[in-house]
Amino acid sequence: MLPGVIGVLQATEVIKLILGQGDPLVGRLLTFDALESTFRTLKVGRDPECPACGAEAKLDASQVRDMDYQVSCELPIAGD
Amino acid sequence: MPRKYDQLFETVRQNVDEVDVQALKSAIDNGDSKPFVIDVRERDEWEQGHVPGARFIPRGFLEMRIEEQVPEKDQPVYLYCAGGVRSIFAAQALQQLGYENAISISGGFGAWKDAGYPFDIPRQWTPDQRQRYSRHFLIPEVGEHGQGKLLDAKVLMIGAGGLGSPAALYLAAAGVGKLGIVDSDEVDLSNLQRQIVHSTSRVGEPKTESARTFVNDLNPDVEVVGIHERLNASNVLDLVADYDVVVNGADNFATRYLLNDACVILGKPIVDGSIFRFEGQVTVYKPHEGPCYRCMFPEPPPADLAPT
Repeated sequence: MLPGVIGVLQATEVIKLILGQGDPLVGRLLTFDALESTFRTLKVGRDPECPACGAEAKLDASQVRDMDYQVSCELPIAGD
Repeated sequence: MPRKYDQLFETVRQNVDEVDVQALKSAIDNGDSKPFVIDVRERDEWEQGHVPGARFIPRGFLEMRIEEQVPEKDQPVYLYCAGGVRSIFAAQALQQLGYENAISISGGFGAWKDAGYPFDIPRQWTPDQRQRYSRHFLIPEVGEHGQGKLLDAKVLMIGAGGLGSPAALYLAAAGVGKLGIVDSDEVDLSNLQRQIVHSTSRVGEPKTESARTFVNDLNPDVEVVGIHERLNASNVLDLVADYDVVVNGADNFATRYLLNDACVILGKPIVDGSIFRFEGQVTVYKPHEGPCYRCMFPEPPPADLAPT
């Protein structure tokens, strides 16, 4: 049953994004504990030094194409 | 005392505020907040074009429906019809309901078009679509306009498994126009305990085909694009580029990083979900508006700590 709960929550977020309605879970992590029957929301922030979306990140299409994600998912650290 | 129509019209008109289409245009363009503009004509008139942003409430339903559309009665409400006659009676009806600023547009939609102002032509619904989406049409947050957005939307689903199954079914039911489904697996009997888009009769079929069968039967408005491949570094950018939103239902680190990097580059939001035993998580990675996956996990954990 748990995949149903989470998958339907995902579908709801998609609909909100398409319609431009409400507050999608951007910067928030929603967790559901099925044994406790509790939902919690944790705030999560951006990392200014993020190697993908940070101010100095140099991520580009050729880097994605050339990387073997099955072997390593590490990106070069920004600024290097 | 019985009166002739002409006398009635003149009496009502004297008690109703009227402005011209130029005033309506500047209220729409320059107002601090979007004004309420109500089109009180009949459906066939509305379908041939209407003032952008106007809401459609035919004259016959105005008193019944206005309060759900405009709850605050001190708000200005602009009413228009084809030529400015029906909207005068409509304004009077709103005055009687306590709307203090009900304004009729003189000359109506005819004058709006003659002035050369832009107008929208709404999507034409088939009778089946009108029935299928009737509940959505009634919700202010969706309505006909929102349903049009859903039918124009393109969503890429990564995986037609435990998470992708319910997500695909609800998105298809809601009328999302295009669903891309990426999955390289075939349906196995052990999947059916949770992967509800598949079924016993389709064991052995590619999951993309099995999902297509179910979705087509549920809603023929939805185009399913089955991508019977593994998501990898050489196909991810081309696949994601064709869609508006990505739903991740694949639970492995390589796919998460791959998808994240492609979506950051292309500026597409990912709706991510994951499950571990009896706990589940959902979040949205919207590039440059919120954190991405790498903001939270710059690199993967060592293999021996990673849950499968």
